[in-house]
Amino acid sequence: MGKEKAKIYTVSQVNGLIKGVLESNLPGRLTVAGEISDWKEHSPSGHCYFSLKDEKSNLPCAMWKPNVLRVRFRPENGLAVLASGFIDVYVPRGRYQLIVDEFVPAGVGALQLAFEQMVKKLRAEGLFEDKHKKRLPAYPARIGILTSESGAAVRDIEDSIFNRWPCVKLFLYPVPVQGEGAAEKIAAAIRDVNRRNKKLKLDILIVGRGGGSREDLWAFNEEVLARAIFESQIPVISAVGHEVDVTIADYVADARASTPTKAGVVAVPDYVEVLEQLGSMERRIAGELRAGLDLASQRLETLLAGAIFRNPLSLVHNREQQVDEVRTVLVGSVRELLASARKLVSAGYEHIVKIEPHRLLGKMAVDVGRLGSRADAAIKSVLTRARMGITAGANRLAGLNPKAVLKRGYSITTVKGTGKVVRKREEIEIGDLMVTELAEENLIESKVTKK
Amino acid sequence: MADKKDDDISKLSFEDAIKELTAIVGKIEQGEIALQDSLEQYERGMALIKHCRGILQQAEKRIEKISKEAGDSKEE
Repeated sequence: MGKEKAKIYTVSQVNGLIKGVLESNLPGRLTVAGEISDWKEHSPSGHCYFSLKDEKSNLPCAMWKPNVLRVRFRPENGLAVLASGFIDVYVPRGRYQLIVDEFVPAGVGALQLAFEQMVKKLRAEGLFEDKHKKRLPAYPARIGILTSESGAAVRDIEDSIFNRWPCVKLFLYPVPVQGEGAAEKIAAAIRDVNRRNKKLKLDILIVGRGGGSREDLWAFNEEVLARAIFESQIPVISAVGHEVDVTIADYVADARASTPTKAGVVAVPDYVEVLEQLGSMERRIAGELRAGLDLASQRLETLLAGAIFRNPLSLVHNREQQVDEVRTVLVGSVRELLASARKLVSAGYEHIVKIEPHRLLGKMAVDVGRLGSRADAAIKSVLTRARMGITAGANRLAGLNPKAVLKRGYSITTVKGTGKVVRKREEIEIGDLMVTELAEENLIESKVTKK
Repeated sequence: MADKKDDDISKLSFEDAIKELTAIVGKIEQGEIALQDSLEQYERGMALIKHCRGILQQAEKRIEKISKEAGDSKEE
């Protein structure tokens, strides 16, 4: 080969050669340990592209949609996995890649990882919280059982219920409990009975199956079933597998029976206990009633022993006496009332007669006349008194006139010239001429000769 | 209470009957009611107990099948 002249290859030829070499020299199937990185899901194809890596190296990987859907857990970056598949060369890009068809988580198992991831997710959404748990009816009358018709679980559940509570009606809704699509079918059945429950009138639903491998129980860990249980208006009891098996359905159900054989204990009361309770209630109300009757008859006895019942007529006589007394008092006071009423009436009549209006008017006219005369007299006397006063005043005035004095023989002497009235000696001098006035206008002149 | 007749009781579910019964026992025991009423309540209580016992004895122990296709249960 070396001696031959160098051959020219096309790009396609080279990639084709590499593809052939790889495929013929590598094992047909490889399982590679690595950590997932660069996880990308392509839409709409659903194929996924990522890398597996270790400390030193990176291996491009692809996973086709059907294989992706089969992975129970969620592949995420950083997750350590064992990826199985084969090496393929993608000729258009000259790129080799591991075509992964199966993942197994390194460390924990795939199912355990998926379970843990689902618990985490649904818990974060609050689906397991106690506040969402519905209370189971204390005495259910109709119970729906969703399980496989062929399994042992249906008998176990039935027996465990009827042994405790035979008066309940059971309804089996057959569903597949494992395999492809089982979770979806159980979920659909739960929604179906909820929709029809106006007619079905189921008090409780029991969803379950007998023991099996983790894989067998897987339907009870799936999200679709968990959500259907969560949304059910009818309270749901989960009864899956053995005591040790715990499923998502157990977490989300309103109550959990550890196995189908324990479903009865969770779902129904024990009729022996209930019968005892009924007996106890019967005794209690009968006892209370008897006690009540005893008490009442005691009271009756006490009353019968009293004076009234020993001499029942005394009560009547007492009452009659009281009636008599009351009657006397009543008659007396009625009479008094009548008498005073009569008095009042006649007094009122007299009063009315006395103040007869026309007489009143006559009296008033007389009074007015009288008042008129009195006013006249008063005015006359005032006038008389005034006249008399005037006369007296005039007389007194006349008395005060100095000339009037002259008539009684007195005279007035004045100094001649000054006209001053002479009252005292000092007012005149010897030799002064004086004029003396007498009554009737007579004047006398004189001369002072001596003082 | 007095206007409820026995045929009303026969229609009660076990749950409702025992609920009422419990209430009656409570009332009678607490002496909340007059003697005349307690006689009535006693009679009703006894009728309820009888009804409950009757339900417990109606054990058919049968399991019926319901399915999506049938659309309905035969039982009503």
